[in-house]
Amino acid sequence: MRHTHRFALSVLALSGMIANFAVAQETAMWGGTPSRNMVSDETGLPTEWDPDTGLNIKWSVGLGSQTYGGPVLIGDMVLVGTNNQSLRNPKHTGDRGVVMAFNAEDGEFLWQASHTKLPAGRVNDWPQQGVCSTPFIEGDRLWYISNQAHIVCADLHGFRDGENDGPITDEADTSDIDADFIWSFDMMEELDAFPHNLAVCSPIVVGDLIFVVTGNGVDEGHLNIPSPFAPSFVALNKNTGELVWEDASPGMAIVHGQWSNPAYGVAGGTPQVIFPGGDGWVYALAPETGELIWKFDCNPADSVWELGGGGTRNNIVATPVIHEDVVYIAVGQDPEHGEGPGHMYAIDATKTGDITESGAIWTVGGDDFHRTMTTVAVTDDIIYTADLSGYVYALDRATGEQHWRYDTFAAIWGSAYVADGKVYIGDEDGDIAVLKQGPEMELLFEVNMGSAMYTTPVAKDGVMYLASRNRLYAVSDEE
Amino acid sequence: MKPKPAPSRLPVPLAAALCVALLSSLGVRCASADWPSWRGPDQNGASTETGLISDWSPDGDNLIWRGDVTVRSTPIALNGRIYVQGRVGNDITEQEQVVCFDAKTGERLWDTRFNVFHTTIPFNRVGWASPAGDPETGNVYAHGVGGMFVCYSADGDVVWEKSLTEQYGRISGYGGRTHTPVVVGDLVIISYLSSSWGAQAPGRHRYFAFDKNTGDVIWASTPGGRPLDTTYSVPVIAEIGGQRLLIAGNSDGAIHAMKVATGEPVWKFGLSKRGINSSVVVVGERVYAMHCEENLDSSALGRVVCIDATGSGDVTATHEVWRVDGLTAGYTSPAYADGVLYVVDNSSKLHALNAETGDENWTYTVGTVGKGSPTFADGKLYIPEVNGNLHIVEVGAAGATTLDKESITVDGERFAEIFGSPIVAYGRVYVPTEGGLFCIGDPTVTFPEMSDEVPPEDDPDLDNATATITHVQIVPGEIHIRAGETAAFTARGFDAHGEFVREDEATWTLNGVDGEVAADGSLTITEAAVAHAGTVAAALDGVAATARVRVVPTLPYEENFDGTEITEERGSVPSFWIGAASKFFVEDLDGARVLHKPRASRGLDRAQAYVGPSTMSGYTIQADMMGTKPKRNMPDMGLIAGRYIMDLMGNHQKLEARSWTSDLRMAQDVAFEWQPDVWYTMKMRVDMAGPNAVVNGKVWKRDDPEPDEWTISVEDTVPNLTGSPGIYGVSYADIYYDNLKITVSE
Repeated sequence: MRHTHRFALSVLALSGMIANFAVAQETAMWGGTPSRNMVSDETGLPTEWDPDTGLNIKWSVGLGSQTYGGPVLIGDMVLVGTNNQSLRNPKHTGDRGVVMAFNAEDGEFLWQASHTKLPAGRVNDWPQQGVCSTPFIEGDRLWYISNQAHIVCADLHGFRDGENDGPITDEADTSDIDADFIWSFDMMEELDAFPHNLAVCSPIVVGDLIFVVTGNGVDEGHLNIPSPFAPSFVALNKNTGELVWEDASPGMAIVHGQWSNPAYGVAGGTPQVIFPGGDGWVYALAPETGELIWKFDCNPADSVWELGGGGTRNNIVATPVIHEDVVYIAVGQDPEHGEGPGHMYAIDATKTGDITESGAIWTVGGDDFHRTMTTVAVTDDIIYTADLSGYVYALDRATGEQHWRYDTFAAIWGSAYVADGKVYIGDEDGDIAVLKQGPEMELLFEVNMGSAMYTTPVAKDGVMYLASRNRLYAVSDEE
Repeated sequence: MKPKPAPSRLPVPLAAALCVALLSSLGVRCASADWPSWRGPDQNGASTETGLISDWSPDGDNLIWRGDVTVRSTPIALNGRIYVQGRVGNDITEQEQVVCFDAKTGERLWDTRFNVFHTTIPFNRVGWASPAGDPETGNVYAHGVGGMFVCYSADGDVVWEKSLTEQYGRISGYGGRTHTPVVVGDLVIISYLSSSWGAQAPGRHRYFAFDKNTGDVIWASTPGGRPLDTTYSVPVIAEIGGQRLLIAGNSDGAIHAMKVATGEPVWKFGLSKRGINSSVVVVGERVYAMHCEENLDSSALGRVVCIDATGSGDVTATHEVWRVDGLTAGYTSPAYADGVLYVVDNSSKLHALNAETGDENWTYTVGTVGKGSPTFADGKLYIPEVNGNLHIVEVGAAGATTLDKESITVDGERFAEIFGSPIVAYGRVYVPTEGGLFCIGDPTVTFPEMSDEVPPEDDPDLDNATATITHVQIVPGEIHIRAGETAAFTARGFDAHGEFVREDEATWTLNGVDGEVAADGSLTITEAAVAHAGTVAAALDGVAATARVRVVPTLPYEENFDGTEITEERGSVPSFWIGAASKFFVEDLDGARVLHKPRASRGLDRAQAYVGPSTMSGYTIQADMMGTKPKRNMPDMGLIAGRYIMDLMGNHQKLEARSWTSDLRMAQDVAFEWQPDVWYTMKMRVDMAGPNAVVNGKVWKRDDPEPDEWTISVEDTVPNLTGSPGIYGVSYADIYYDNLKITVSE
């Protein structure tokens, strides 16, 4: 199914760039690094704050009414994907997907990119859900997927740098609060991709390539793949927006949508981009060419997909994490489908071919792990993760054995952020729990943020950034 | 028989002592302890019964009986019987069903099954709507996910049925949301998104009142604007300031109040940027409404609001009593008891709000996901979670205590989904789940005797005949008819309160209908009339009204579009087609006048256009069609006959016959290579082979001779027996049609 484009020739020249990944420019992305491991070496993070009294709240600022993308920190800026309900640009009214940039020091609003909704409506662009993609940022460029299913490259500083960078230079609005778009690639127009409900991918950039899950999925009848020839995974030149390769591996086997993100790492010496498929398989593809390295079926052979969500077969909403030659991934479904049985795997990423039989180092599931959208945090000995049923888990990294399980009593959509000896996780009730890192469960702190926490906490320079459904908080110990 | 006039304000019946004051004064009477509609006798999720159990077990404790049925919605209890709507079957036998149990013993008295067709709602969301019972007749009304709307007698016989999709352009809900009917007086009222013909061509959320005994359309009302979502808020009937109102959350994000007898809009309250799913509760002259999505005036998500219901027009800015922002309760509906509004939010957290002030008395974490609504009785709330948990929570002034939590499973294997709500009737609680219907209660308490007494007849003779007529209703409000046939219309006058005044001689005229209307309102269509649509108009005391008339084809029917007028390169589809007006256009292509289905300018590319009534059978339909391939994608294009769809699927290069888009229970396909920009001819017919239907189709290049053999033949052992002929298309790329022919099958 893989289809190499004429651009492939030019890519060969890029492979050297990928090997020399460690470039000097500062990067920021969903999960902190291309491995997507939700562990950070931040220290001095707060264990106590209160949005009602203002205790340890450095600043807070209103977002739209629904926020799923980010926050992501770079330099002195924080960016968040949200919707247009707070109307920061009076010229851009109505339902839109928005990426907002703020000053990380004081929460000052800097600029925003906004995108109108697709006329197709909810089948491709669900009302009011905003931009769910978390931008990848490198140097003064950011890349994200808009609600219109465009891969967008924009200037990190908008027009505030006094320049209109191109090739896109015909932006209608060029004030200080508007976005300076560099290029934009319409995946529906160029690839015939049919994103089910919303394109949400948080891309990664490695070398000169940007890797994206297109979101191709079923139509509103939920059985038919209307665009079976559209790719699910693509690589573009990050500078020009030119398509380099495309791959339609899950193809007709996509059971619903594709709302996950790629990860990148080197396993057994082989660089690989790990793509989660809408068929419940994980695909490791060669970055330069899209050639398959290995693939792994995350659904048990006897599992059954049931339309509307009741079944045992799942797809993948969580993001894979690659850490020391092992990929950690768990299956789940559209949260609208409710709770259900799930499975989590540790996969040996040094193997090749179809490694469904040979690749699983361990797996947990059944009554011990449920449908999830959570991306794991992997430390030396323990994996921290969570599921839609509201449980936070500490699992032994080598065996998957459960050290402890904490019940938040609310659905968890986001991921645990592990840093400074602590595990931070939010839930749909708007609670953030801070648990002690380690094999013994200890709840250190819990506070309600006033609105659902669908995003993942993230820290920089000792400050925690927490995006609730409609508000962004900067939290730090004032001591 | 002349249709009975809608009742006017009613005297309080004797049975009222056993009923709740609010409803009895409105004529929604009920026997002692019935739960005749989805939120109960008071339409507020509360029961006045006492002595109810505080704990039970799915294994036996206080479990009186368990009905083996898969339920998604809320049951009703009427005259000692429990009625539920749900799904049944496997593979080809997958259907929707209504089941009647003896409320005392759990004996399965009857069940009836019907087919689901032409919908994108999947099997496990079948039975989304709850049935509604009529205390007067004992009849039960059910709205299926495929748009069948059926009136059953207490014994399960079909009194009348409608195919709302084929007859009134009902649009299938996205994701499953299907509306529950409401019985009031002589009316049964149901709402849905529709796009049919004429003034009802634009897609809107419409309310239709049918004569509950005959199924005639009494009125249709379109109080709201452009629909934002599919929704499932169930209307509530209330008397406000001497006026009977139907109050409902709408897909345009507002709460709308309409006059019950006429459907005339009275007021609207703008609440959300998304559609409203929660039902309102009315207490006195106050309406409590809630939602979990974007507000119109803040970035907080969700709101509970108290509205003064006495206004008129847009009361958004003027009649808000209080609000609680940021409370996200959008799936459940509130329960009201003793001055407290009980709200279960999306995360299954219980909020007790002072109904007078909106102050939050207390909150209590019940579970994880709230979908089914809480039910109040005997100082307790029965609260379901979608993950199979039923909580019994004691509530007081200071807070709540969980008395019992039980986990219900399907065959002990996985949790049983619960989307419906428990009901309270006859001293027992009935809990609908995917894993069965549970009747729980104290087994030592005697089941109450059911009274044989029929509730007293409504007294329609209140003297209102001298009131001033401000609104006229023509009944039936919409018909379909054939050339040469006759239909009778009557004109009814109503006063400004929406109360019936009199039925009287009116002045009758026709607009665009090929026929004659007599002074008594009887319409006769010209013998030679071709299919078309128009209206019949009447004026009574100078007040005008219209009723909608579709003159449907007499076979053979042919349409080659050559006679269609084209202005600015586009012409309209034939006026009597249903569901086609905004999706298909007549255009010139390569010198021929053809039907074009372009990519949708907004919304879905999928369309079904119905050409004839849903009662047709024994016909053959044929049309030419051509698809295009501008990029990677080709369209799906085909025909509809007898509730089956046959289409050439472009991207899959196959010919498929199916009935239910999201459940291929009888579907089969054959590989069929076809090219873009080439005209093909498709012929389709449904034949009966004993009890089974056989869907036959053939496709050939238009310029080639017709092949002798069918290209595909598919047998359905759970057959559709009738259905409208029509045209089908999913325009991922442009589709053109021409030379449509419908003939009596040879």
